[in-house]
Amino acid sequence: MTTEAAISIQGLTKDFAIGLRGTRLRAVDNLSLHIGQGQIFGLLGPNGSGKSTTIKLILDLLQPTAGKCLIFGVSHDLAESRRTVGYLPESPYFHRYLTGRELVGFHAGLAGLSGGQLARRVDEVIARFGLSNAADRRVGSYSKGMLQRAGLAQALVHDPRLVILDEPAAGMDPAGVEEISTMLLQLKAEGRTVVMVSHLLGQMEEVCDRMAILNHGRLVWEGTRADLAGASGRQALVVDELSMEHLGDLRQWLEQRGSTLRGVGQPALKLAEIFRRHTAVAETRRRF
Amino acid sequence: MSFFSFCPRRAGLIARVTLLEAMRQRLPQILLLGAAGLAVGVQGLRGINFGLPELKFIADLGFGGMVFFGSILTIFSGSHLFYSEIYGRSAVTVLAKPVSRTEFLAGKFIGMMGVAALFSVVMTVVIAFVLYTRESTLMQERPELFEHGGRLRYGDIFAAGFAYGLRFGVLAAFTLMIASHVRSSLYAVMASFGVLLICDLQYLAQEAYAHTGTTPLRLLAGLIALLFPDFQVFNLADLAGAEDGIQAEQLWRVTGYGLCYIAAAGALAVFSFKRREI
Amino acid sequence: MKSSFITVAVTVLALGTAGGLGRALVAPTRAALRLRQSSWRVDFPDGAAGLVRGGALLGGFRTLAADFLWLRVNVLWEKRDLPGAMQNLRLVTALDPRPLVFWLNGARMMAYDMPAWRVAALGGRAVGAGGVARRIESDQAHLALAWLDAALKFHPASPAVFIERANIRINCLHDPAAAAEEYRRAAGQPGAPRYAARLHAEMLRRAGRKTEALAWLVALHAGLPRNDEAAAADLVLARIRDLEAELGIPPGESYRVQEL
Repeated sequence: MTTEAAISIQGLTKDFAIGLRGTRLRAVDNLSLHIGQGQIFGLLGPNGSGKSTTIKLILDLLQPTAGKCLIFGVSHDLAESRRTVGYLPESPYFHRYLTGRELVGFHAGLAGLSGGQLARRVDEVIARFGLSNAADRRVGSYSKGMLQRAGLAQALVHDPRLVILDEPAAGMDPAGVEEISTMLLQLKAEGRTVVMVSHLLGQMEEVCDRMAILNHGRLVWEGTRADLAGASGRQALVVDELSMEHLGDLRQWLEQRGSTLRGVGQPALKLAEIFRRHTAVAETRRRF
Repeated sequence: MSFFSFCPRRAGLIARVTLLEAMRQRLPQILLLGAAGLAVGVQGLRGINFGLPELKFIADLGFGGMVFFGSILTIFSGSHLFYSEIYGRSAVTVLAKPVSRTEFLAGKFIGMMGVAALFSVVMTVVIAFVLYTRESTLMQERPELFEHGGRLRYGDIFAAGFAYGLRFGVLAAFTLMIASHVRSSLYAVMASFGVLLICDLQYLAQEAYAHTGTTPLRLLAGLIALLFPDFQVFNLADLAGAEDGIQAEQLWRVTGYGLCYIAAAGALAVFSFKRREI
Repeated sequence: MKSSFITVAVTVLALGTAGGLGRALVAPTRAALRLRQSSWRVDFPDGAAGLVRGGALLGGFRTLAADFLWLRVNVLWEKRDLPGAMQNLRLVTALDPRPLVFWLNGARMMAYDMPAWRVAALGGRAVGAGGVARRIESDQAHLALAWLDAALKFHPASPAVFIERANIRINCLHDPAAAAEEYRRAAGQPGAPRYAARLHAEMLRRAGRKTEALAWLVALHAGLPRNDEAAAADLVLARIRDLEAELGIPPGESYRVQEL
């Protein structure tokens, strides 16, 4: 196992020209990031904070105004650097006139697979993402969820070491979000590095090892899940069946040790949890 | 930089998908319609019996139709096949793979050329077939017309079809060059038609200015002649009726001429597309 | 600004290089095509350039447009629409003066069909019996000859144009002397059919210039190959003997065939 970063960004800056007068908008401002191998890295931020621009800069879809970026030590402007990268764009659109199988096969071919290996991998990812029944249908007839699955299939067909997902759960129902979370953890377990851009803070918090927050193109916070837990200096206990008498004892016990019980309440079930209980989650879970 | 990174297999895959996409739209129907229209139209000529020149007339009509519809097809399909990737954002997914911009554009160009080549082949075969059947009929009905030879040279018909296909290739390369530079497909289509007009008419400007123009006008005509290909050069069908027909040397010279412009326009397309933000 | 300048400079350089190389490569083919395509040239005499310039503006689609108009001419011909056919005939040849068929068939329509339409429109046979019909035929024949004069500007060495002119002069204007002159010019063009020379002599004979006709045929026969069927040397010799008989030339002074 090497210690080389999956992605290493140094002073990345991107300006967009607006209008004819040469006015410039800075979308990414002197960003430096090091994303280690084998972790799930979350990129957060409000709309227009530069998340998707950063991803496009990493993939050489946009040219940086300044700074540099390496993918597993290879400069990002070399096509070779993307050989080990799988990418799912936000709201993926594909060649509508291809069937699902042709589409995944096409992307596998672009990534360098051929012959029997290509056919085997295409079958594997199509089955993995539950597209077997729709594999010979044209992509133009797919629902949004199926398009997302096809997008994931093309991103993973060449067995990449780094997976970049731009809003992978956008527009999905809670069951779909949970499927994505399960898949992300599985990708990590397989030893891959995952970089994810999302607005779903709950999901990010649940699966990411490290996170970074961008605002106006600048990095405003970066840390681990553990850093989040310690940030408030508070802890929460969840206890089943605690009587009022025992609660009094607990308060007293804490005060004797210099701590203060700030509040007591009854946590409600999360809406997502109720949704999951009442919908057929079990069936979809099997897909991952 | 990945400017010179090139893998023929990846370009071939993109070309295949481009051609497949074109074929799964309505382009084959247009091809069949054009071919059927020509075959049926020529049947109507039987009422107008003008002997041996009828064969020349059929060839002119067929190749004229081929050039007219082929030029429109090349510009529209070329622009559509390029912008459908950009507007549809499927280019983002493709270019996120280890695909260089050169490979992407080469694949698009070969796919576009595939459409134009298919059209040229279908039309040339139909023209040759129609000419053959009409010639056979005329030989039976009026054998005296062929006493001193005058039989068609079918090799010339196919050579002329090849030259027109090459003309579509040059037009496709210019369309791609424009499309890779500008953001609007409508603008690209209009500009490509402008280029077609210049290429089709520049011979006239050259001839006119060579005889009557002032020095600045001659220089301007010379510059246009240098920058834009002269499409009249691809009208080898006009040589098909000559005594010695189309010579192999003439064909390879025209092929070289077309390839020079395809290479230049293709390189310029890559130059623009390299800097394009997807 | 700097980026735009670089783009323009690179574009001019790349296309200029391609153009320079390409033009040098294709120059001989271009010259051959230019000779075949009269509409390329703007140095035609007698204002013919003006006629072709309008057609040339259609560029590569000129041929197609002309072909469609030619079909239209034939539809109008079937409908006996004289003004429509004339107008479209002029348009066809303005667009694409290269195909001879446009000129020759146009001339035939003017010389043979249109007089019949005009005579029929005036009452048919009753008029045809009088001088009006002859005047109409003469007018139309002269129109056709003028049309073929224009054709000669684009096809100056075409024997077919001279033959067509000769046919009109003899069939419509009944002028064998003028027809003889046209056949003589036809016979002098490269690739002319052998019969043009024979018909020249025949026209001279009909015009009463039998001595001239005999001299022409004797000179012609002396140069004909004996074993070429198309040359019809025997036929020429038979015509010579007929003329000698008509002129009363004694056998001792008659033409003696030289073995080649």
